[in-house]
Amino acid sequence: MESPQNSVARTPSNSAIVQRRSKSKSYRQSYRSCLGAASRLGLTPGLTARRLNSSRRALKSQVITEKVNPEHLAILVKAEWQLSYVTPLYQFRHTQLKSYSRQLSAFIAAEKQQGLAVEVEGSQSSFRVSFSVVQGMAETDDDAETVLIQIFSKPMFAKQDEPQRSVWSGWLTCINGNPDYLHSLPKGFTCLPLFGSSGAEVLTSLVKSWFQQTFDCCFGCLEINQTSLQWLAALWTNCHTESSLKHLKMIWTIPVVPPLQVTYTVDPQDAWELWMSVRMDQLDKSEEEEEEQARNIDIEEVTRFMQGLKSHFYRHFRLDLSAGNLQQVSTALGSAKFSGKIKISSSRYIITTLALLTECALLKMPI
Amino acid sequence: MAATINLSDSERSSPNDQSVSSRSSNRSLRVAEKERRKNEAEDPFVLALKYFTDVEAGTPVYGNDDFERNLVLVEKVAYSKGLSPEAISVMLEFAMSLRMGSSPCVRVLKCLIPATVVPQEAVVRAVVWLGVGKIPISTQVLFIKWVLTVFDMIDTKDQLRAVYGFIFSYVTEENLCPFICHLLYLLTRKESVRVFRVRKLLELQSKLGRQPFLLHLLSLYKVFCPELVTLSIPSRMRSGFRNHISPWKSALIAVQKRNGLQVASSMSLAFTIKDKTNSRKRKHCHLEVPALRSVVNKEAQTEKCSSRKVVPLVQLHSFAQLLENMHHIELPAQMGSLLGSSLALQYLDCVQDESALLRLNFWLGYALHEEFLFCGDGGAIQNSEDALQFLNKLLSAHHFLQEGFSSSEAFLYKFLNVWDGSLLRPQILGLLSNIPVVPSSQIGRLLFEPLTQLFFTSSLFFKCGLVECLNNMLLKWLTWHSVYALEDDLDISLNSHTSINMTLSGFKDSVMELVNFVGQLASVGLQIEGCQSLLLSFVLDFYETVCDTFLKYGLPLVVMPPSGVFYPALFALDPVSVDRLAYIMHRYKVNLTSAKAQEKLTKAFHISRQTFHEFNHYVVDMVSCLWNSKMFQPGMGVQLGEELLLKSKVPQYWTSFDLIHHPAFMSYAVDFHQKCWPGKKDMDLSSIKHSKPWSWYLEYLFTQGYDGLKQFVQSNISRQLTASDGQGDTQQR
Repeated sequence: MESPQNSVARTPSNSAIVQRRSKSKSYRQSYRSCLGAASRLGLTPGLTARRLNSSRRALKSQVITEKVNPEHLAILVKAEWQLSYVTPLYQFRHTQLKSYSRQLSAFIAAEKQQGLAVEVEGSQSSFRVSFSVVQGMAETDDDAETVLIQIFSKPMFAKQDEPQRSVWSGWLTCINGNPDYLHSLPKGFTCLPLFGSSGAEVLTSLVKSWFQQTFDCCFGCLEINQTSLQWLAALWTNCHTESSLKHLKMIWTIPVVPPLQVTYTVDPQDAWELWMSVRMDQLDKSEEEEEEQARNIDIEEVTRFMQGLKSHFYRHFRLDLSAGNLQQVSTALGSAKFSGKIKISSSRYIITTLALLTECALLKMPI
Repeated sequence: MAATINLSDSERSSPNDQSVSSRSSNRSLRVAEKERRKNEAEDPFVLALKYFTDVEAGTPVYGNDDFERNLVLVEKVAYSKGLSPEAISVMLEFAMSLRMGSSPCVRVLKCLIPATVVPQEAVVRAVVWLGVGKIPISTQVLFIKWVLTVFDMIDTKDQLRAVYGFIFSYVTEENLCPFICHLLYLLTRKESVRVFRVRKLLELQSKLGRQPFLLHLLSLYKVFCPELVTLSIPSRMRSGFRNHISPWKSALIAVQKRNGLQVASSMSLAFTIKDKTNSRKRKHCHLEVPALRSVVNKEAQTEKCSSRKVVPLVQLHSFAQLLENMHHIELPAQMGSLLGSSLALQYLDCVQDESALLRLNFWLGYALHEEFLFCGDGGAIQNSEDALQFLNKLLSAHHFLQEGFSSSEAFLYKFLNVWDGSLLRPQILGLLSNIPVVPSSQIGRLLFEPLTQLFFTSSLFFKCGLVECLNNMLLKWLTWHSVYALEDDLDISLNSHTSINMTLSGFKDSVMELVNFVGQLASVGLQIEGCQSLLLSFVLDFYETVCDTFLKYGLPLVVMPPSGVFYPALFALDPVSVDRLAYIMHRYKVNLTSAKAQEKLTKAFHISRQTFHEFNHYVVDMVSCLWNSKMFQPGMGVQLGEELLLKSKVPQYWTSFDLIHHPAFMSYAVDFHQKCWPGKKDMDLSSIKHSKPWSWYLEYLFTQGYDGLKQFVQSNISRQLTASDGQGDTQQR
């Protein structure tokens, strides 16, 4: 019912037209063509061929511990996360987290014991849920604050006074989200497109279905595609001088019968030198903007770096890895798998890594 | 035992009874009045009721002939005609007050068959008696069962709702609990759901275990106040409450039938709670339309509409209810659920809230993307049955709303690039035809590029399907235009109704692009498929829409078909195609004439000279080919070298496509020839060309149903000239 006002707010120039709309039979504006001027669909991947950024800043080592609660950080760094993308949450309030905790724990209890009703307020469920805001993660004002969800429970055969321990954790985040996309969402929507979960699959799906029912959102698998894996490999290698990689390990699958898996481990120093040689070429090009260039990494450099690694492998084993699929990249700084599992081992690079993944998640948005 | 005897007794007496009453109704008013007065004084039934009203407390039952006689009388009336509201009040009061002890109670309750309605006061008083008297538990149960049975016949329920708390207190009675829960279920309103009641029920649940009646009541509480209680109903649980009509069933139905009332039907309640999160189906759950649920976190809305009573959509079961509550319906927790119910779809048509539609679009887009674009494991092939149903549901929603959703549009633009042209073809083409007007700057990249690839690499049937789809798309665009052009002046931009920032000229550009695109597809397609008549038929369908854009849809735009379409239709082997082409050319002429006239008047638009030129050229060609037998003349669209024509050794090749020698009409000419000159041995088709037989031949063709040809001839050829080489009189502009 509020649509006319909304339109006024967003497109002040045609207020006269808006009046007409309320008078006449009002064509439903949101079924409108997805090419409409005010529509967010200008961002739709299919229409704009939205792609991953072809150039990004190098991983910044940040002393994040000053900004972010170390306890939260410890949780984020500890586990390997299964990633999903999430469509914008409707009517999500960062101020209601306490109430959400109660609702989710009641929901889990009700689902766990089918056919038994559970009181939402003050329930003595065997699962305790805690929602909390991870302050200090957001990079820009448009980013919604990260939300951490933990589920605690007592083990089945625990002693009476044994404390509950965390059995599942997950988070929703948005780091450096595309500002155009975020601005296009009307009031009432919160965009936290990246969801990571770690713990029992059953709990993951319960949490997801509670979110779906409560905030009218959808969860889908988020794979880390070839390009992103290559990006991560390059970005991590780029940090070698600051914190040692220990190793650069890549796993490839080659589509032959029987399937062949190649584990390719590179000495960190060699990888660094290869990377620098790729970088140096680029740096020579423009000496004036050297400072700027040193920070930005281009997709071409990443491709050349990977090409270097592949041709090295080819010289030794006569096997062209381009024919295969990169499945996994791991270093001491973290590991990422094609299936959408990621582990970020160093808190110093967590923000930039999550920014890359946020970008991937936003690419998956249906509209 | 007594009851059964009485029942059979009443059945025996009933036909007699009925005839008496029907006869009495026929008598004059005077007699009736007199009888009524007499009856009032002497009617044993009235006396019996009086007995039960006045009887002293503590009167013995056993050996009491008065009591027995009066009760039998009441039972007789009850089982035959049913009891009046007053009688119900009296008898219920008598039974529940235990004035003659508890023994007659059951007998009275069993005969409480209402003739019309049950007065609410009587029920409320009886409920109060429940708490006062020492009624045996089984009788209490019977009473509640009776209330449940006649619930729909209770005249109003406001007072009953007012004593909700009182009724609720009986929940703790273990034997009564299932029936009280059912009664509460029927009486519950949002305001009756309170924390302490929820706690009480949960307490009972922990005592009694998972009982369906508790769950059903609690699930209703959840509908109203999901913030207080949550539960999930297992799929194997029976849905709804059992009904308890059995003690009264036969009598009630008999009485209601006699009184012409509808049999109370709402005794059992249907549940719509759907069980989900089946681990089996989890893999493809994105195609599942979510269940209707009410919103949990209402704090945002409560401030805004606390004054209004809000009704969750889940609570509405009929269109009438929907209309009644139209202005205070609460949207469900998941907008996608609207797609699953036809009633909700009606409501969706009126939803104006942008966020609500965006939510729906997010869900729909997500489902489509996951199923058809992100499926890594070939999921789409595995469960094409689910996908088929899903798309059909989506299509019927589109048809119902008469437009598509923006998310399905965005999905299609991507999907067309990866589609093989055969997976779920009818559905995908159906969705495609619902795409709203695409700006001409984007239409090529979004639609034409992928469609061209698909068109030229797919089968004939795909080609036909695509042309049909594009025809439907054009029809929808034109209809959309004509609806909104009627509201405004023609030259006003259309963005008052949509946020498509599109002016009339922009719209025209898009339509032109689409028409030209189909023209190109059709030209090449017809060539590839050897002018296949099925494809030609779909192409002509399309041009039947195109030729009438000005008159039918008020769009000042006329686009002629390319020669790649015109000539294959003109030289088609089947007469139907030629006839349809003639009809199309006739409509073009009517449209152009009318546009020309209007153009002079208003000067608001301009049809280019080029269009007139093309039209004239086609008409001249058509006339000289079909009528004047002047095929292959210089200046025509189809030209062949003189030598080549001579080489072919076709005699009088210039006549070979006139209405007599045209391959599509040759058989008619032969047939006509035989009918005209039955005796003639050698056939000379050219003899039809003479003035008289020629006009007979035309008449003959027109009677065969070639109306298009008839209209074409009438509008383009004046025949007062000599017929042997009749002159084509085409308009010149």
